[in-house]
Amino acid sequence: MHLTRLSLTNIRTYERLELELERGIHVIAGENASGKSNLLDAVAMLATTRSQRGGHDIDLIRWQALRDETLPGGRIVGEIDKRDGQTTLEIAVVASENDSDANRRTSRRFRVNAVARRASDLIGQLRVVMFSAEDLTIISGSPSGRRRYLDLTISQFDPTYVRASQRYSRVLQQRNSLLRRLREHHGSLDELDFWDDELTTAGSVIFQARAATLTRLGQDAAIRYPTLGSPNEKLSVRYKPALPVALIQNVPRDEFESDFRSAIEEGRQQDVWKGGTQIGPHRDDIEFQISGRDAAVSASRGQQRTAALALRLSEVALSCEITGDPPVLLLDDMLSELDANHRKRVIETAYEVDQVLITTPDFDRPTASELPDAIRYRLVMGTLNRAEESL
Amino acid sequence: MANTPINRLIEAFHRLPGIGPKSAQRFAYYVLRAPEEEARDLADALIEVKRSVVLCQRCQNLTDKNPCWICLDESRNRTIICVVEEPLDVQAIERSGGFNGLYHVLHGVISPSDGVGPEELKISELLIRIRDIDKEIIEIIVATNPNLEGEATSMYLAKLLQPLDLSVTRLARGLPAGADLEYADDVTLGRALEYRQKV
Repeated sequence: MHLTRLSLTNIRTYERLELELERGIHVIAGENASGKSNLLDAVAMLATTRSQRGGHDIDLIRWQALRDETLPGGRIVGEIDKRDGQTTLEIAVVASENDSDANRRTSRRFRVNAVARRASDLIGQLRVVMFSAEDLTIISGSPSGRRRYLDLTISQFDPTYVRASQRYSRVLQQRNSLLRRLREHHGSLDELDFWDDELTTAGSVIFQARAATLTRLGQDAAIRYPTLGSPNEKLSVRYKPALPVALIQNVPRDEFESDFRSAIEEGRQQDVWKGGTQIGPHRDDIEFQISGRDAAVSASRGQQRTAALALRLSEVALSCEITGDPPVLLLDDMLSELDANHRKRVIETAYEVDQVLITTPDFDRPTASELPDAIRYRLVMGTLNRAEESL
Repeated sequence: MANTPINRLIEAFHRLPGIGPKSAQRFAYYVLRAPEEEARDLADALIEVKRSVVLCQRCQNLTDKNPCWICLDESRNRTIICVVEEPLDVQAIERSGGFNGLYHVLHGVISPSDGVGPEELKISELLIRIRDIDKEIIEIIVATNPNLEGEATSMYLAKLLQPLDLSVTRLARGLPAGADLEYADDVTLGRALEYRQKV
């Protein structure tokens, strides 16, 4: 698949950007703080509806618009060309009327082919894999960051996962509130019945999807890792679900759900004491080991970087395999950080997909010999100009 | 804002749901320009509604007579109760013309994160009513909204009413009338298929 058009209105640093895109590799050169990452982030948002940079929705809207307009809003529109035809995606973020700047509310609207839709209908219409210099935090960062990584990855090719996750988080919030009520002796334990049923139904979908995805990603990444410059080291990726050990064996789905249900029910009293749900996907983690040692603690930054790169390359392969249509690659100012071997591998992958957007601070890097036929742009003051001069 | 009569009025309108500061101003200036009689009518209507409207002792709907006219209407089907979340839902179902039974208004749904459990709703009133007042009930239709909290409430009611000898039903879920299949979202369409009917 590839993007044929991208349009940004009042998004972060962009007042207005209209971009026609083709298949192939696009290199966008701009100085620091010229809005390179914002551009790729906007594309990633079209795929996942979430900003890779985190933060609040209000931060998406260009600050001058927030200051000057009565009903300020930002808009991202993308047209994509897929195996099964053209699709137009739109995300609009609108701020509430200018009451007080401190806590302005925002609302989001999603459209697919100009028809109002829910976020879950938009997610995965466009699929992207983003490579950035911060990828090593998947290995070294917090468990919540790893869960976020999993969610963003799986939701792009599994719509049932998106719905299960949304339902799970709402049920979890209600269940935890009920647990705190029970701790203060309001109500009775059997009020948990409905929430426990819902939690384990949605939770089982999440568990199965995470387990399946991590098995495939892990196997593929384990094969790639030694080829990325460390032939004698072994990478292993292991899903660590926050569930009792006996539950995690490879059980058929129905059985798993009822076992999960009993485990949740057994834990009720403890959950009430702690005022929160102690087991379930909201506490999952992934363990990375390099040659048998925990990579988060004992691996060097170089090893962490290599492991993260292997994982991203596997993500591209998995996305192709599951959907039969390669994702759009987004390389955010990261080629310069890689050694020659890694750079070569990423560029090889770039030529295997339909479209790649690369940002770089230097116009002539990556060089023309590394990326022949790349379409090059200069980004100056929020305006993107296609460079006609040849390198 | 200075605490002048006009500002107090603007603020009072602004507190109403769905009324922004601009609309509140417009309302206030309208009242200022209107004849005193009209302002008095408005004030009287406000006071009267607070004084005379109460909850019906049987169905818990808003009423100025107690029991309300629906509960007293002998021509209605007195074997079915439709349980709804809010008084507005009674009006919606009445407008549909598809129901001629009795109602029971819960005044909310189970939502622990909003601090609402079963005891905050008019559920015990429903049980007492079935047991002592409307003894000929054979069916309870649970017409809570088809969202998470609505489902939680209907499951709770179904379980609670199970020992009693009546049938508990739930509103069907599926495509809205006059809808275009192409534009229906996956979840709704999936439900519509799941609950399909013989033609």
